[in-house]
Amino acid sequence: MSGFLYGVVLQWKLDIRSKSLFVTCYIVPLIFFLLMGGIFLSVMPEMRSTLIQSMIVMSVSMGAFIGVPPSLLETYGSDIKKVYKANGVPLCLGLVTMFISAFVHLLSSCLIIMLLAPILFDAVLPVSLPFFFLALVIYILVSLSIGSILGLLIKNQAKLTMTAQLIFLPSIMLSGVMFPIDLLPDFLKIIGYIFPAFWGYCLMLDRGFCLENLWYLILIFSAAVIACAILLHKQKFK
Amino acid sequence: MKDAIQVCELKKKYGSHMVLKGLNVQIKKGEIFALLGVNGAGKTTTLECVEGLRKYDSGMVIVNGKMGIQLQSSSLPIHIKPIEAIKLFAKWNKTKPDFSVLNSLGIKAFENKLYIQLSTGQKRRLHLALALIGDPDIIFLDEPTAGLDVEGRRSLHEQIRKLKLKGKTIVLASHDMAEVETLCDRIAILKKGNITFCGTASELSEKIGRKYFIHIKTQQGDHTLETDNIEDTLLSMLSELKQKEIRVLDIKVDRGTLEQHVIDMVRREEE
Repeated sequence: MSGFLYGVVLQWKLDIRSKSLFVTCYIVPLIFFLLMGGIFLSVMPEMRSTLIQSMIVMSVSMGAFIGVPPSLLETYGSDIKKVYKANGVPLCLGLVTMFISAFVHLLSSCLIIMLLAPILFDAVLPVSLPFFFLALVIYILVSLSIGSILGLLIKNQAKLTMTAQLIFLPSIMLSGVMFPIDLLPDFLKIIGYIFPAFWGYCLMLDRGFCLENLWYLILIFSAAVIACAILLHKQKFK
Repeated sequence: MKDAIQVCELKKKYGSHMVLKGLNVQIKKGEIFALLGVNGAGKTTTLECVEGLRKYDSGMVIVNGKMGIQLQSSSLPIHIKPIEAIKLFAKWNKTKPDFSVLNSLGIKAFENKLYIQLSTGQKRRLHLALALIGDPDIIFLDEPTAGLDVEGRRSLHEQIRKLKLKGKTIVLASHDMAEVETLCDRIAILKKGNITFCGTASELSEKIGRKYFIHIKTQQGDHTLETDNIEDTLLSMLSELKQKEIRVLDIKVDRGTLEQHVIDMVRREEE
């Protein structure tokens, strides 16, 4: 157990030192938040009540889809995975430690947004903080599980970057976090429903925590866990 | 005494390419054993199958003892510090780092640097230190001194000899014949997935045919002669040189290096 905990803490430090996760979890989302927060509210003042949720969806999506997969590729697409086998520890340990570490980074980034938004932009805090945090935790888990599939599945850095962008950009543009989804044409609305960002955003809104918004996220998370288990199993017998 | 490692009829193929074709080898406890062969001969695949890092198709591998594996330089995250890697490996192995071993490898001097900032020699020493965590009985070293300077090689050879004195079994794959000749008790030559020779270096020279090499330096240049009959060849050569009044500057006789023997062995198998 102490080896596991040491591994998680070490991974957390490595993520900060490696800069790529640090940039995608903190620097870019926070700069985006500071710039776009002001612009959004000047264009659409009614976004004051959803600014925190919007910026959090953007921050989590960026960290999970763009920041985490390269770290996983670095481990599972290289000789680093042999370290686990050579020391008789399960191959999934790398994924688990990276997942937990990234979860803490993303949660920290979201907390910074939550603390700054009311001060800087007079944003409205969620009415029910327990439900909001529960929804946030669920969305982070789902996003990280998708990021994990990308990192385990794609063995080429260029392809990984492209695929991650193909998931990240529609997640942000079609989920209602940048502008109300009602403004989109019907076919784009339907595409938006495929991405978990839409459901995560709905779940975090006031009075949004309900089964209608939750079932799809649970389905995606369950499927992602199974996919990750299969991908790790394949790695084990390579 | 039980063998440290027994490999029987080991087969492995990548796609349709058969890399190991029913390989058999026994490695004794406490010996330094080298796997030699040209690139693509199957050295790393053999090691990885024995280490449990790679699945093989058929055959049997028995390892009697705890293994320590010196991994390649690309096997640690670039932002990890040596001290962190050592602590992590120690925790995984449910042990405490043996600081006397770490000090003897000179890890202390660079324990707080990032892995990416280490020199090749420092990385090699770190990987050896990591392989020794958990006090293994059998240590696998893959190209242990590749890229090291003279001092680095000497220091690492000393460490390997110390490990042998402690009764450890050491298995190494190397291209460096001089290293193998000075360190190893027995060698195996791998060629196209099979072992073509397994024994001591002197057994190999016997098998090759007890050749002698006469290296002679004269005023007219350097020459090397190969012979089975050292006495007659040397006498006739010296008398011929005397007759022609050619002055001999230096003369050396040896039985060839391991490198020459391995090359001969590989050529002979090809013929």
